[in-house]
Amino acid sequence: MSDRKRTPGIVWLGVLAAIVVLTAGGCAKKTPALSLLVWEGYADPSYVRAFEESHHCKISASYMGSSDELVAKLRGGSASNYDVISPSSDVATMIAAAGLAAPLDLSKLPAYPRLSERLRTMPLVRVNGNVYGVPFTWGPNPLLYDTTYFAKPPDSWAVLWDPKLKGKISAWDELSTMYMAAQVLGYDKPDPNHIYNLSDGELDNVRKKLIELKPNIRKFWSTGGELTNLFENHEIVAAMGWPLTTNQLRAAGFPIGETIPKENTTGWIDHLMITTASEHKDLATEFLEYMIEAKTQKMVTDVTGYDPANSHAAEFMTDEQRKTLHLDNVDEYMTRIYFWQNVPRRDKYNEIWNEIKAAQ
Amino acid sequence: MYSRAYKAGVTIPPLLWVSVFLLVPYAILFCYSFWSVSPAQVIVHNWNLQNYLQLARNPIYLQVLFRSMRIAASVTVFALLLGYPLAYYLSFHAAKRKDLLYQLVIIPLWASYLVRGYAWKTILGSDGVLNGFLQYLHITHKPVEFFLYSPFAVIITLTHIYTPFTLLPIYASLEHIPRNLVEASHDLGSSPWSTFRRVILPLSLPGALAGATFAFVLTLGDFLAPLLVGGPSGVMISNVVVSLFGAAYNWPLGAAISFCMMLLVVTLLFVTERLEKRLAVS
Repeated sequence: MSDRKRTPGIVWLGVLAAIVVLTAGGCAKKTPALSLLVWEGYADPSYVRAFEESHHCKISASYMGSSDELVAKLRGGSASNYDVISPSSDVATMIAAAGLAAPLDLSKLPAYPRLSERLRTMPLVRVNGNVYGVPFTWGPNPLLYDTTYFAKPPDSWAVLWDPKLKGKISAWDELSTMYMAAQVLGYDKPDPNHIYNLSDGELDNVRKKLIELKPNIRKFWSTGGELTNLFENHEIVAAMGWPLTTNQLRAAGFPIGETIPKENTTGWIDHLMITTASEHKDLATEFLEYMIEAKTQKMVTDVTGYDPANSHAAEFMTDEQRKTLHLDNVDEYMTRIYFWQNVPRRDKYNEIWNEIKAAQ
Repeated sequence: MYSRAYKAGVTIPPLLWVSVFLLVPYAILFCYSFWSVSPAQVIVHNWNLQNYLQLARNPIYLQVLFRSMRIAASVTVFALLLGYPLAYYLSFHAAKRKDLLYQLVIIPLWASYLVRGYAWKTILGSDGVLNGFLQYLHITHKPVEFFLYSPFAVIITLTHIYTPFTLLPIYASLEHIPRNLVEASHDLGSSPWSTFRRVILPLSLPGALAGATFAFVLTLGDFLAPLLVGGPSGVMISNVVVSLFGAAYNWPLGAAISFCMMLLVVTLLFVTERLEKRLAVS
């Protein structure tokens, strides 16, 4: 009967509730926090910390593995968890049109007119006369190769299908692998943009072509770190990758080569956007301004190896850096890149991609 | 007897818990499986059977399901082959070392699943421990590639992870066998082998069945091992569900697959439970 004398559960519940309420009240007064959902490398402390200090805020970042993961997270109801996102050009239009991002007040972004005109004037993030994103970085999805295996750079994506490379390559777990196969099949001629609008029959050929590639694939990669590891552990000798991977591997002393094969390659323009659900839109706008200033853009380039949307960043670079980024001849370089575009039948593409992955 | 208030007090909270966090979500999942995704990538609530028809029509999904079941069956067999003898030794022969050995079986369960997955990656990789060792001994001259990123790697990793789950129920059922039955068998002149076959094995079958069910069901629903150590052709059914709920944004189809899987697993659990009961009675 001693149980009766014990403190009733309801009292403990009350105490617990009081603690929760008190701590929640305490949280409300703490420094404002911006939460980012961006590609790897876009929230590096080397430039984010300065913003945190000057604006007395805290920035926390999550990384996304693919464009579709970003869309799934925004759609799945966790949009309110993030203030700033960095969609690539393939899903940017859809995010803007679906009302998942907030229209920007360009008068609060003084650096905006200094961004590359070619990137700014694309219709990607313009919906109903509003601008929903600022171009941030751009770059190709180049062919990466182990220079100890390839004496000279492979000149065609078709090299990935070489029977000698059985179990020696990695493929990106992303629709870009399908675009690449479409290029190898010549569907980019005469109109390069056709690879984003393939017909059912063409998609079926892409599927067959990629199933032929499967014996050569050691592993599908989905994060930059994973691809870096696959090269470092000598699991693979070639893959479609990101300039970020090249940078990381070079820094680690790995003999990595990077090339754009003769078929050209797909590429992306990443935009920074503010989510509709963000509760810190003013702070987020200031963050966007900071991120597209020439000085910050140079630091972003140092970390990622991507090309800066603000070409004035080149003023802070060495000649060599300008050359590796092709900023000395940027217009010609851009013609080799088919920038990702809105894919109207993205669900169909995704269905085929899943079938390719599930096939024996 | 217990008062009505007491009974309500102990039954209502767990019932509420189960309904709110299990039954209601399952019901929502079930509803999703009849909806569809519009071209504008929005889930629309027009009730139809398209998702189930697609599962039946496209052989890929059945193929992946059978592959997952094959992998689950292999893991179950290996877990039993490793788990049963060890449980038998622990129960009948370990004597003083029993507690120590028992703890050694339990300890791996304390390490996170991911840590164990990555450990196998470093063991099986081309530059890994195993390949390094084989080349050092000149047994092989270049890395054996099927060690990692292959069904082999998935099976070995999952066997390592789920063997303790198989061993524990077997050990429990062996511990419950009255020792005087074993002694009686010996006294009546039967050999150790025949004692095992005719006394111990039948009495431990319910435990073995429970352990096998654990290994099979847990493996069937696993998606991390194929992701970490599986190859490009080792996709399992849960990976398809993960991708449909994530990247592909086709929740309705993912829900339909999940529901079929659930039906399969529930049927399996039902059948094994009936079997266990029958074995326990006879």
